[in-house]
Amino acid sequence: MSFQTTDKSVLAAFKLVKAPIYSHCFSNDRSLLAITCETDCLIYRMNGANANPKLVATLSNHDKTITAVDISIHGRIVTCSQDRNAYVWEPLSDGTYKPTLVLLRINRAATCVTWAPNGYKFAVGSSARIIAVCYYEQENNWWVSKHIKKPIKSTINCLSWHANGVLLASGGTDGYVRVFSGFIKGLDTKEAVAGSVWGTKFPFGSLVNERYHGAYVHDVKWRSNIEKIAYVAHDGTLNIFDSQNDLQSVNAPDGLPFKALVWINDHEIICAGYSCHPVLFAEAAQGWKFAKNLDKVADSNQAQISTHTTGTSVEDEDENPTFGMSALKKFKELDLKGKVSANVKESAHENAISELASFAESSGQVTQVSSSGLDGKIVIYTI
Amino acid sequence: MSDWRRIDIDAFDPESGRLTAQDLIPPYTTVVTLADLQPKISQLRSLSSSGDVNSAINLATTDPPYSADENTKAEYFRAVLDTLKQVRQADITNIVKSLDSKQHDVLIKFLYKGMSIPEGQKQGGILLTWFEKLTQIAGVTPVVHYLSDRNTV
Repeated sequence: MSFQTTDKSVLAAFKLVKAPIYSHCFSNDRSLLAITCETDCLIYRMNGANANPKLVATLSNHDKTITAVDISIHGRIVTCSQDRNAYVWEPLSDGTYKPTLVLLRINRAATCVTWAPNGYKFAVGSSARIIAVCYYEQENNWWVSKHIKKPIKSTINCLSWHANGVLLASGGTDGYVRVFSGFIKGLDTKEAVAGSVWGTKFPFGSLVNERYHGAYVHDVKWRSNIEKIAYVAHDGTLNIFDSQNDLQSVNAPDGLPFKALVWINDHEIICAGYSCHPVLFAEAAQGWKFAKNLDKVADSNQAQISTHTTGTSVEDEDENPTFGMSALKKFKELDLKGKVSANVKESAHENAISELASFAESSGQVTQVSSSGLDGKIVIYTI
Repeated sequence: MSDWRRIDIDAFDPESGRLTAQDLIPPYTTVVTLADLQPKISQLRSLSSSGDVNSAINLATTDPPYSADENTKAEYFRAVLDTLKQVRQADITNIVKSLDSKQHDVLIKFLYKGMSIPEGQKQGGILLTWFEKLTQIAGVTPVVHYLSDRNTV
């Protein structure tokens, strides 16, 4: 079933599962959608914005919660899970998938996974304070991994590859954003990183850049063409920095932390998280600023509180009945009329947004973004 | 070994890499000592005793001694708490409005710190009033910042 919402930024909303979706990914041509659902990864075929996606495959080799899924440009799916494993799923001609176990060699949950742009290697973050960079070894017919360990102090939450396929940005619960080299001999060439503003030599695992933020870092994304990195953290900030460590930081308008971000163009970023709707930030002459909310519910309580604070300075607490009254009203409505409330309008996502991805682009500009939420929904927004 | 579930397996693994309290302290380049801070504390006290609470709060919430040790922080906090007590309830809103968002973040740290120690709990009513006015003006942003910030006062 698809949901009718009044906000015109919501293009489509699909309630797919009854469990949280921690991660989702569309195939390159946007015809297939992969989502995590408990210990399974579900594959759907898209039928346009108005029809519900059709379940075509269930990937169920993991025996603990799947934490992340990604699809390469060649259509290979990688999943990683709290069971400390990752699988690469090779699409077969009959629509099924052939799993191959990846030797991660970690002793804690795998938390995030992302394919390198060329689709021949991927990186897995974990709670074992390790980033495993994995690639296929022909002679053993296996995906093997090389570890980046130092100086990671805690769980890795997010990873992002530079377009050159060598630089790997990571963020984690130790409050650091770090850039490592994920250079794999035989796969990567030195030409790819020649003239990089981030350094001159990139042996595997070397720390290229490091910045301390403090709060948990939830998501990090490269903007390769302008050599900038954006990240969101648990203190509700969006931060953008470059190789000169010139940092700009901007607060979430609602104050609640963001879980995910996606670059729209060189000067615009969309973030989303615990406030359940996306927020657009834009870079102006004075730096990065909040631009607009998408699909934000105009809450009557909020309006009352804000008028209250701009009012006179000294007020008795009894004269501030906004919170208590709305609850009372709600129950009265429920009791007398048997309805929840007439004026409650909900945003497309009813719970925190866990991940954002670009859905449609035209001439270097993202025009539509997809999101997955803890409410089991996939929503597509137009900007 | 009946309660094997309670065995601390990380203790047997030298490479478990468990975080220590030390790991959570931000990487400070310099450390503020009590002697460094003494002039600021006396300035704060003289401002608040002369009744210029607005400037006193402004000073207290600017560049707090994050890198100092616990004793120094406690000393600084006592001066801040005395200032917070000085302010008449009617003036709180205007003072909070005169601060910028960074100062709001610092102010809320002092309020939480006050509520966590006996000296501050005696002034609980005052701290809660400050908290109320602050969240009315700045929303939940300072609270979220406080919860996730490893720079403590």
